[in-house]
Amino acid sequence: MDGRLHIIGVGSPFGDDRLGWVAVEMLQRSATPAASGGGSVAFAVLDRPGALLLAHWRDADRVIMIDAVRSGAPPGTRHRLQPGAWAATEPVSSHGFGLAAALELARALDALPPHLVLHGVEIDPSNAGFSLSEPVRRALPDLVREIEREARVLAAPGVC
Amino acid sequence: MAERRDISIQVPVLARVEGEGALELRIRQGVIEDLKLRIFEPPRMFEKLLEGREYSEVPDMVARICGICPVAYQLSAVQAIESLFGVEPGPWVRAMRRVLYCGEWIQSHSLHLHMLAAPDFFGCASVVELARTHADEVRRGLRLQALGNDIIRLFGARSVHPVGVRVGGFHRAPAAADVHALREQLRAALPEAEALVRWTASFELPADEQEFTSVALRHPGEYPMYQGRLVSDAGVDVSIDRFEEHFTERQVAHSTALHCLHRGRPYLVGPLARLNLNCDRLPGPVRAVLDSTGMRLPCRNMHYSVVARAVEIYFAVHEAWRLLAAYTEPDSPSGEVPIRAGTGFGCTEAPRGTLWHRYDIAADGGIARARIVPPTSQNQARIEADLRQSLQAYGLDRPEAALRQRGEQVIRNYDPCISCATHFLDLRVVRS
Repeated sequence: MDGRLHIIGVGSPFGDDRLGWVAVEMLQRSATPAASGGGSVAFAVLDRPGALLLAHWRDADRVIMIDAVRSGAPPGTRHRLQPGAWAATEPVSSHGFGLAAALELARALDALPPHLVLHGVEIDPSNAGFSLSEPVRRALPDLVREIEREARVLAAPGVC
Repeated sequence: MAERRDISIQVPVLARVEGEGALELRIRQGVIEDLKLRIFEPPRMFEKLLEGREYSEVPDMVARICGICPVAYQLSAVQAIESLFGVEPGPWVRAMRRVLYCGEWIQSHSLHLHMLAAPDFFGCASVVELARTHADEVRRGLRLQALGNDIIRLFGARSVHPVGVRVGGFHRAPAAADVHALREQLRAALPEAEALVRWTASFELPADEQEFTSVALRHPGEYPMYQGRLVSDAGVDVSIDRFEEHFTERQVAHSTALHCLHRGRPYLVGPLARLNLNCDRLPGPVRAVLDSTGMRLPCRNMHYSVVARAVEIYFAVHEAWRLLAAYTEPDSPSGEVPIRAGTGFGCTEAPRGTLWHRYDIAADGGIARARIVPPTSQNQARIEADLRQSLQAYGLDRPEAALRQRGEQVIRNYDPCISCATHFLDLRVVRS
């Protein structure tokens, strides 16, 4: 374990699937030692990593994942999910091996980080192109603030 | 005698293959009346998109054809353009492109073998189920897949749709320290890859010998990957610019991917075809492990493609490790590129099989016409022929679920990448 808090944005360049990447960019811009409670934070953005997500969890005991979610809720709805509730809500991935499958595989291999949480925003699947839809864009500032609050606690040395 | 049934089996969406396809099977009086591997993924029209673009844009554009084998598309493309322009990028570029290609073989083969194919041999529905009983083997597979990605990232800046390759060489050379660290990873992976070969050879593989023609590249001194002549075990041995004389593509109504035939008949490309035609080109340690498994070559049982894939992972780890032994940073990672009008041909061995490119380029360096023949469209007719034979041999009186499972397993033996293979169907308008 490397003692850092890992914040991982998952997505692709397409439409609202960019959400995880954009959120990590915003978090990185505002990241200061004070904002992370003096602890160390590692940021990563991944393009549909499939099963290799497990490699990014390998050295981590505290992980915040950020991804687009599609559960039937109105676009822009924020989600905060613990692993237990995760598979049932069908996180979005445009590749065959999505977050839910990676989670199941990690669980089978006893490779789940002790602290893992998914922050997501309900997306508008009809939003094509390379930018976020308006409901998702509006949800972002609150999402980032909530993750920052959580990160301050989790990143503090000695917290697990 | 078992009752003969009239049944129709539809697998509306094939699981554990790259892209979207379906299988339709109609059995009448105990005989397969109709069998179709339907490919309905929307056409990509990449060849048309390339028209009018500058030659230098091609490597990054064709990398987008596939998220699993972008390097294959890049290297077939630059080879075609460089051969037309008379560019010989030199031994450093040649060796490093081969290393990069090794990364893609390791990544793609490991992904397919562990995530998609291996569950079949243990009666598991998915890799998650397999991981509960074979955790160490799945972990090893993930480590190998990650190693392949690391190699691609080192040369291509990122592992998905890498951007390092250019006509004339690479955009940049990796730092020697990074290469040495990677070589240590490769050294550590050698015993893992060897163990993987032995593991796959221990699988209980169905007995299903079939007659088919294998086609692959062949090189005077190397296991084929980046260069060679096109050969088949039906006696073909031609330079890659003569592909169109021996291989013809045709459209079928049930697939957005073209069917490619060799002298009018289906044929096989991919790991088992390569091994059938080139096992004498494997380096000694890899050949020794292959021999120790007892696998006889040439092999006519497609279920052994899982072993062939493992052998090629071991080969690629060994080859990359060997090629990086004396790594030094070059003065320049690319050379001069004089533009010349005409037609260029490129052909390399993608993880799934032979990938052929042809570009007609104008005097200003613009692409006038492009033609790309991916491995899955070459294998498609063979997959259908295999399904007919293997399902008939398996027993058409078996329960539908068993037939469906066996059908999917047969298809997965070919590791089809449906996204790569889809082309645009001609539109015919009849007006009266």
